[in-house]
Amino acid sequence: MADRAQKFEPPNRLSRKIRKKGGPSPEQAILRALNAAEDLIDSYQGWAVDDLTALWKAYEESRHGTSPRDILKMFEIAHGIRGEGGSFGFQLISTIGDSLCKFLEGRKKLSAGESEVVKVHILAMRAVFKQDLKGPQPAIERELRQLLALLRERMG
Amino acid sequence: MSGYDFDSMKVLVADDSQPMRSLIKSFLFGFGVKEIHEAGDANEGFELVRTEEPDIVITDWRMPPTDGLDLVRKIRMDMESPNPYLPIIMLTGFTELHRVKQARDSGVTAFLAKPISAAALYRRLCTVIDDQRPFVRVGKFFGPDRRSRRRSEPYMGAERRRDSQ
Repeated sequence: MADRAQKFEPPNRLSRKIRKKGGPSPEQAILRALNAAEDLIDSYQGWAVDDLTALWKAYEESRHGTSPRDILKMFEIAHGIRGEGGSFGFQLISTIGDSLCKFLEGRKKLSAGESEVVKVHILAMRAVFKQDLKGPQPAIERELRQLLALLRERMG
Repeated sequence: MSGYDFDSMKVLVADDSQPMRSLIKSFLFGFGVKEIHEAGDANEGFELVRTEEPDIVITDWRMPPTDGLDLVRKIRMDMESPNPYLPIIMLTGFTELHRVKQARDSGVTAFLAKPISAAALYRRLCTVIDDQRPFVRVGKFFGPDRRSRRRSEPYMGAERRRDSQ
C-alpha cells in the first residue's frame, strides 16, 4: 500500500524576504553580472589548459591498458569541461565535452580504435582554444555535433 | 522598471570547481547579492548550511567524493539541518530524464543545466523565490511537491499517490 502524503507549508518563504521591486531591472542585473564576471571569463582559457593537460595524461595512461577507473577519470574531467566551457563562453568546448561524455559513459574498457575517438575529442578541444573560437558558433557547432556523433557511431 | 532586490539574500554556492564557484559568485554579486558563502564539497556545504543559514543553496551534482544529492538529502532529512525547507537549485551537466528524476526525488527545488549563463541563473533565482509549492513527506521523500499545479514547470511523470487514484 502506498504511503499517504503529508503536506507542509514552509514557515519562512523566500518570497516574504526578497522584495520584487527596488532592485535593478533584469536587463541591468544581467549586464552587471556579465561585467562582474568579465575578468574571470578572460582567465578561463588558462584554467582550461590544466583540465586538457589532465585529460591528455589520462588518455595516454589509458592507452597502456584501460581500466574502468581510467575511463571514469576521463569521464569526470570531460564532464567538468562540458559544464565549464559554455559557461565561460566557449560553447564548442561544451559540445565536444558532451560528445566525449556520451562516448565514455558506461564503458569498462577501450579498444585501440575507441581510444582514438578520445584523442580526436581532445585535439578538437585544443583546436577550439588555439583558434579562440569563443561565443556562439552555430554553424560550426551543428557540423561538429554531427561529425562527432558519426565518429562515435562508427567507432563505438 | 525595477526588478528583484537581492540585497538581503544569503547564498551558499557548492561546487568542486573553483572556476565555476567564482563565476557563479560574480554573477550573484552582479545581481546585487551581498553575502555569498562557498563550499567545495557536500560536507563543507552542509557545515555552512548549519553555521551560516543561507536563504538559498546552489549546488553542483557531481562533487567527488560526495555529491550534490548527498547535500540535498542532508538539508532535507538530517536532524541537524536548520532549515529542511531551504530552496535548493541543482546545477548539472546531466540532462538525461532519469537523472533529472533522480535529483527531483532527492528534493531539489529547481534545476539549472550546465553550461550556465547569467540570464538563466537570474531567471532560476526568480522562479525559486516565487515558488509557492507546499512540501510533501511521503515514504522516504521530503521536498517540494513534485506534482503541484502551482509549480512553474509541469510534472510529466505518472500519478503514483494513493489519494490521486
